[in-house]
Amino acid sequence: MNPTEIDALNVASSHSLEAQVSAAHTHDEAGNSMFGFIVFLLSESVIFLSFFTGYIVYKTTALDWLPKDFTGLEIHDPAINTVVLVSSSFVIYIAERFLHAKNLWGFRAFWLLTMVMGSYFLYGQAVEWHSLPFGFTDGVFGGSFYLLTGFHGLHVMTGVLLQGIMLGRSFIPGNYDKGEFGVAATSLFWHFVDVIWIILFILIYVWQ
Amino acid sequence: MKIRTIVILGTTAIALALISLWMGQQAYTWFPPQASLEAQLFDQLFSFMVSLGTFIFLGVVGAIAYSVLFQRAGKYDTSDGPHIEGNITLEVIWTAIPILLVIWIAAYSYQIYNQMSILGPMEHIHMKNLGIATAATLDPAPEAPAIHPIEVHARQWVWEFYYPDQKVTSTELHLPNQERSHLLLKSEDVLHGFYVPAFRIKQDIIPGQAIDFEFTPIREGRYRLRDSQYSGTYFAAMQTDVVVESPEAYQKWLTDAAASPPVLAYNQAFEEYHRPQNSPRVGWQTVEPAPPPLVNAPSSQESHL
Amino acid sequence: MTNISVETITQIEPPPPGVPENWKRFFSFSTDHKVIGIQYLVTSFFFFLIGGILAMIIRGELITPEADLLDRTVYNAMFTMHGTIMLFLWTFPSLVGLSNYLVPLMIGAKDMAFPRLNAVAFWMVPVFGVILMVSFLIPGGPSQSGWWAYPPVSLQNPTGNLINGQVLWILAVAISGVSSIMGAVNFVTTIAKMRAPGMTWFRMPVFVWTVLAAQIIQLFGLPALTAGAVMLLLDLTVGTSFFDPAKGGDPILFQHFFWFYSHPAVYVIILPIFGIFSEIFPVYARKPLFGYKVVAISSLVITSLSGIVWVHHMFASGTPSWMRMVFMATTMLISVPTGIKVFAWVATIWGGKLRLNTPMLFALGGLVMFVFAGITGIMLASAPIDIHVNNTYFVVGHFHYVIYGAVVMGMYAALYHWFPKMTGRMYSEGLGKLHFALTFLGTNINFFPMHPLGLQGMPRRVASYDPEFAFWNVIASLGAFLLGMSTLPFLLNMIGSWVQGEKAPKNPWRAIGLEWLLSSPPTAENFEELPIVIAEPYGYGKSEPLVANPDALEVIHESH
Ligand code: HEA
Ligand code: HEA
Ligand code: CUA
Ligand SMILES: [Cu+2]
Repeated sequence: MNPTEIDALNVASSHSLEAQVSAAHTHDEAGNSMFGFIVFLLSESVIFLSFFTGYIVYKTTALDWLPKDFTGLEIHDPAINTVVLVSSSFVIYIAERFLHAKNLWGFRAFWLLTMVMGSYFLYGQAVEWHSLPFGFTDGVFGGSFYLLTGFHGLHVMTGVLLQGIMLGRSFIPGNYDKGEFGVAATSLFWHFVDVIWIILFILIYVWQ
Repeated sequence: MKIRTIVILGTTAIALALISLWMGQQAYTWFPPQASLEAQLFDQLFSFMVSLGTFIFLGVVGAIAYSVLFQRAGKYDTSDGPHIEGNITLEVIWTAIPILLVIWIAAYSYQIYNQMSILGPMEHIHMKNLGIATAATLDPAPEAPAIHPIEVHARQWVWEFYYPDQKVTSTELHLPNQERSHLLLKSEDVLHGFYVPAFRIKQDIIPGQAIDFEFTPIREGRYRLRDSQYSGTYFAAMQTDVVVESPEAYQKWLTDAAASPPVLAYNQAFEEYHRPQNSPRVGWQTVEPAPPPLVNAPSSQESHL
Repeated sequence: MTNISVETITQIEPPPPGVPENWKRFFSFSTDHKVIGIQYLVTSFFFFLIGGILAMIIRGELITPEADLLDRTVYNAMFTMHGTIMLFLWTFPSLVGLSNYLVPLMIGAKDMAFPRLNAVAFWMVPVFGVILMVSFLIPGGPSQSGWWAYPPVSLQNPTGNLINGQVLWILAVAISGVSSIMGAVNFVTTIAKMRAPGMTWFRMPVFVWTVLAAQIIQLFGLPALTAGAVMLLLDLTVGTSFFDPAKGGDPILFQHFFWFYSHPAVYVIILPIFGIFSEIFPVYARKPLFGYKVVAISSLVITSLSGIVWVHHMFASGTPSWMRMVFMATTMLISVPTGIKVFAWVATIWGGKLRLNTPMLFALGGLVMFVFAGITGIMLASAPIDIHVNNTYFVVGHFHYVIYGAVVMGMYAALYHWFPKMTGRMYSEGLGKLHFALTFLGTNINFFPMHPLGLQGMPRRVASYDPEFAFWNVIASLGAFLLGMSTLPFLLNMIGSWVQGEKAPKNPWRAIGLEWLLSSPPTAENFEELPIVIAEPYGYGKSEPLVANPDALEVIHESH
């Protein structure tokens, strides 16, 4: 290859190219991880979407929709549960703000509050499950009710677990020197779980 | 030069078109006899598709073959071909033509499908009764014509037909020639498929649904009726015959059958399952075949596979 | 650029630093995308042979009309496992393997975005492979409900055992799904975030575009299958009633879940093959890819169309007429972006200077078979035609033409083309051409007869058939045995050449592409210094450099 050609091309290469070169050299790990995590969540949402679609199909077509002697779901306690879960999304946001402001204890306090609220939600759900007169195998309604709430519950549990890990990690000195990817991802996951719950609540409890 | 190209292209296209049309005519011979109105419509459509497909296939492959034969690099020629990155006009053309072709194929197919109209008026049942558990209790629609549809009962691995007006059961489907046949397809266990190649029609049978199915046989004879939706171990053996006969012969068959006492029909799956295995062949446990049905009119011909 | 001198060959002699001449790394938890790529390729090829042996048994049974070679349950297990193994253990992993090897090299990255995730995703493949194999040994045998696992047949459990073939099948498919999702996240992130400086979207080779398009399908499709599989598993094990009509469930809903993924899945399979065609034709025709941008974009068009056509697998199922008509139209639309690609390849070859090396032969053969299969696909898309041929051998013919004719042939093309890069050795042209001739003949003799059989009404998934179908079946079986034999020269070639082939230079094909600027095989970290890309990917016919810093890419490369 002819060196003058290359020179010419090098001169021609723009500033933006140089910017890219230096960007590529510093190589943004956390940025990649966050991007990957968002892609994953998008994909994950399709599972819920599929379950929701299944639920709608069953509800609109099944002849014996509700199990025998069952008139409908109680909405009062689940509504309280919903309020708790949805507000926890704001709480976790406040926790994140504290972390940005380098106020570690503020972060921990609100982070812990989120965990408590998430756990309360799980507890409320467990109580509801115990009080219901039908089981997993009672028709398509029983099946899809427990499938949807259970699958969502698993996500809440995962969220609380992740939060626990992040809380523990916050005590490691220098943990946030390399950025706050873990916290940001957990928080994003939590919002995701929340939004799913709102749709779920409308589908199962409001639309009866 | 320009004119020469056009002439060459034109003659090639005409030659290809002629070959394609000829192929389209050949297509009529690739099928079992045309025993229904639907088969006539089908063959017409298929012939059209073959012509079009042949044209596209020969066009593309012809161009490739020409390049492969005549545009090879010499043994020691390491130079590159011309640097051509694209051609907007060409690209627009070869996007537009397939779009037009697709519209054409789709419109024609739609038209043929409408003329066949093999799904009966109870089609709406799919949207309403998906989860129904007791299909047997489902009577044909109240507004159904005086003649009730023939019921097709499929189970692992038996075909049984029920003529409700004469209360006749059979393991062979008899249909009057030149009349619209109305069937009600029901399954008692898993998915099955009602398929008569000579009629070019098929419909899956879904447990919990009763599916209205219609077609018009137009040629007397005996044709194969096959299960077309995989239904487990003895799926391949779940076959029987359709007999299309003159309306008189059909009526006679019905009255004769109505007068005959029910007998145990032959069933291949059942037979095989209970046949003593003389050669120890490894197999796995299977769902047990349903017992052979008691019918007024068992198959008049049996095939053993 | 175009003159690769002899000195490059001599420079290969010292083993590149960081790459131990050590085969053991292929059996380790390596995080090098090149090692993982080869691990995927070799593992999946092993399963290809197993799936192929099952196919040989199937064709052995079908050479006579009676069910005489195998018990019917065994036959049913054979095609179920054949289909499952071929799709989940051969096509997906082999293409992921190839993409793993090539994508980072082609976009100028040192590795995938998440190397450890990559390795975990790979090691799941042998795990679920073993689970599937184990199902042959348990009481009741492996799943016998076909690769669609349609309920209620898939819910019938004659042994009554909790651990049965169907449960293991679902488990294996689920693990495969998790592995694929991990891979998809990794690929999409890598392509979006790890491109070298100057590697803009429209400088990416088309192969990278097609991988991106294919992996996006995995992301939106697989979760639907997972949802269906979870519900099926619950029906099968704990007795819920989602799909069991006897208990008020809806078996058709499962079909929607299944095909919502499994139709797009066929484009997951074919798209990278389109990428391979787009890479190989320019090299061996010495011309740029015709209409590069349109070809690149049409991949994404296929991705989006692929999500709205699934009901064409259910035309004869419990679908109302309006649904049949809507999905007939959407299905046919796929031929437009696909046609754009086909015509672009033909225009690429046209007027070029063709060199018929083994990869080119396989790519050309694959293209011809693909066009044939695409045309039968359009016939199937027409609902009234599909009503007759659905679930007959016409469909089996259609998809083996795509899947063997286009996908396996395309895969062979790729393996030959990048073999020197991956192994640092040249393969034997003679054996390669023999392999091509046998494969091309075998595929056609094997799969062409399935079309007349289907038109005459021979159903698929049958262990026995009416004697009128015997003639074409005998020919198909003989073709299948020939096709089976055709893998032998390939194996001989690959193993023999890897062990003692001639050393490969950097760029034996005078191809343009970042991977060809590196030594064969490339060093562990690929690029010492990231390339600065300054040109579009297919600069054949004009001598223009691809990168601004070709001499800095590798340490051992001394500039002249
Ligand atoms: C990689 C795999 C692959 C690919 C790429 C395709 C591509 C296509 N397939 Fe196929 N298909 C399968 C794998 C594949 N298929 C499998 C595995 C099954 C069966 C599964 C099972 O049941 O087990 C199946 C089954 C299947 C069915 C269901 C049949 C049935 O069960 O009854 C249908 C119906 O529409 C169909 C249609 C199509 C169409 C329209 C295309 C199109 O994408 C083809 C587009 C290409 C072209 C059309 C050629 C090039 C275009 C031109 C040259 C332009 C001009 C052309 C025209 C205007 C027509 N396929
Ligand atoms: C990638 C996908 C793929 C591939 C490559 C193949 C390859 C082959 N397939 Fe198959 N096939 C499917 C996917 C595939 N198939 C699917 C999805 C189904 C549907 C299943 C279902 O209905 O559920 C199916 C169904 C199917 C059927 C229909 C069965 C039925 O409906 O009853 C048949 C019948 O002929 C068949 C045949 C073949 C043959 C002969 C090959 C040949 O190409 C195979 C060639 C053989 C080899 C490549 C291996 C040769 C090995 C040796 C010679 C031994 C050497 C060994 C050592 C050195 C250890 N396949
Ligand atoms: Cu009987 Cu399918
Ligand atoms: Cu499809």
